[in-house]
Amino acid sequence: MNVIHGEVARLRATGVPLWSALIALACGGGLTLLLALTGPQNAQPPMPDIDTPEGVGFVLGIGTVLLFVPALIGTVAITSEYRHRTIGTTFLVVPRRGRVLTAKLTVYTVLGIVYGTIVSLSALLALIVASWMRGVPLGVDPADLTPALIQLSLAAAAYMLLGVGIGALARSPLVAIGIVLGYFMFAEYILMLIPGINAIYPFLPGGATASLTSFDFLTDAIASQTALAPATVASPVLGASVLVAYAAAAAILAVIAPLRRDLT
Amino acid sequence: MSAAIEVRGLSKRFGAVVALEDVALRVEFGRVVGFLGPNGAGKSTLMRALLGLVRPDNGAAHIAGLPYAHLTAPAKRVGAVLDIASAHPRMTARAHLRTYAALGGMARSRVDTVLSLVEAQSYADRRIGTFSTGMRQRLALATAMLGDPDILVLDEPSNGLDPSGIAWLRTFLRRFADAGGAVLLSSHVLHEIEHTIDDVILIDHGRTVWTGALEQLVTKDAPLEEAFLRLTQKGPLS
Repeated sequence: MNVIHGEVARLRATGVPLWSALIALACGGGLTLLLALTGPQNAQPPMPDIDTPEGVGFVLGIGTVLLFVPALIGTVAITSEYRHRTIGTTFLVVPRRGRVLTAKLTVYTVLGIVYGTIVSLSALLALIVASWMRGVPLGVDPADLTPALIQLSLAAAAYMLLGVGIGALARSPLVAIGIVLGYFMFAEYILMLIPGINAIYPFLPGGATASLTSFDFLTDAIASQTALAPATVASPVLGASVLVAYAAAAAILAVIAPLRRDLT
Repeated sequence: MSAAIEVRGLSKRFGAVVALEDVALRVEFGRVVGFLGPNGAGKSTLMRALLGLVRPDNGAAHIAGLPYAHLTAPAKRVGAVLDIASAHPRMTARAHLRTYAALGGMARSRVDTVLSLVEAQSYADRRIGTFSTGMRQRLALATAMLGDPDILVLDEPSNGLDPSGIAWLRTFLRRFADAGGAVLLSSHVLHEIEHTIDDVILIDHGRTVWTGALEQLVTKDAPLEEAFLRLTQKGPLS
C-alpha cells in the first residue's frame, strides 16, 4: 500500500490528475457539444441528426477517435520518470521494481477509468445541453446510453494502460509519443486501406474499440472514399476481449521490461 | 558485526567497456570513506551496483551483510545521493519529499525534519525547476536522509554547494560518522574531502588501486592530491 500511496502522491504533485480532467472535459464534453450543436447532418458524409439513435451514436462514437489521448497521458507520465531521472530514486526507495510498476499500473488504471468517466459524463451532459439549445429532442433516452458510456470509460482505461506499456518500453518521451501518435493517427488508418490486411482491423486496438462501441463511421467513410470493401467491426464482446488482451499485454510489458535494466 | 558496506570481486562490463574488474572494498561503521578515482574510473557504476541499480556480472555487494534489495526497509538503512537532477521540475521540494516518504513508508513528519536538517525550509514550497544546483544538492541530501539511515552513499554531494554549504556538509558528515554511521563519499575536490574523510579507497580503470587509512596515504608535505596523481600514474603537478 505504501507504494500505491507514493504513486498517488507523485501523480497529485505533478498535476497529472488536474490536466487529465481538463483534457477529458475538452475531448468529451467539448467535442460532443461542438458536433451536436453544428449537427451531424452537416458532416461529410452527412450523418443523421441527434434526434435519431444513429445520430446520437455517431456523436458519442466520434469521441473514440480521441482515445489516443489517454494513451498519450500514460506514455508521458511514465517516460517523465526516465526523463527527469526520478526512476532511480524510486527504485532506491523500493528496490523490488515489480512492486513499483504494479503500483503505477494500478494507479493509472484508476486514472484511466476516471478519465473515461469524465469523458462519458461530460459528453452526455453536452448532448443534453445541445439538444436543449437547439430545441431538438434526443433520439435516445439518456438512461439507455449507460452501457455505451461505461464501454467508453473502460476503453479509455485500456488505452491509458497501452500508453503506460509503450512508455515503459520506449523510455524516451519523444520516441514513445511518436509511437502512440504514429500508430493511432496514421498506421492504423493506413492498414485499413490495404486490401486483405483490413480484415485484421477488428483485432487492432482501434478496430477493437470500434467493435466495443459499435462505431463503424470511420470504416464506412474510408470505404466510401475508396473502392475497398469496408473493414468489418466485430461484436462488442470480442472488441472488449481484444482491448483487454492489449491492456494486459501492455501491463505485463510495463512490469517486465524495466526489471533487469541497468540504470546508469 | 557485518561491515556497513562490503564489496567482493565485483565486475561489470558495458559491451566492450570494462567498468569494474574484481573490485573489493569495505566500509566500517563510524568511518567516512573517500571513494576516489579519475573520471570514468568506475566510481558511479560501483555505487549503483551496490544499490541494486546496476546488475554486476560477477561478485557481491552487501550492505550490513545483505544485498541492497534484500534489506527489509532499504531507505531506512541507506541514504544515497547519486544524481542531483533526479527530481520532477514541476514538484515542490516538499511534495518531492512527501512522495518518497510515502513510497518508503516513512512518517510524514520526517519531511519537515530533513528540510530543517539541510536548511532548505525557505524554499521548501518552491518548484524544483527554479532551484540552483546547490538547492538541488541539498534536496538530494534531504531525500537521502528521509529514512534516518545509518549508512550514506554519496556521489559528489558537494557539487554546486557554496562555501558555507560545503562547511555544513563537512560538519554534518563528521557528526554522522561520530554517531556510528558509515559514509562512502566520492568527490573530485580532493583538498576539500581531505578534511572530511578517515579512509581512502582509490580506483582507476575499474580496479582498486589503493585502500587504507588517510594518514597512511598522505603526509604533511604530500597532500591527497599529490598521492592521487601518483597512484593514478599522472605524476605530481609541476
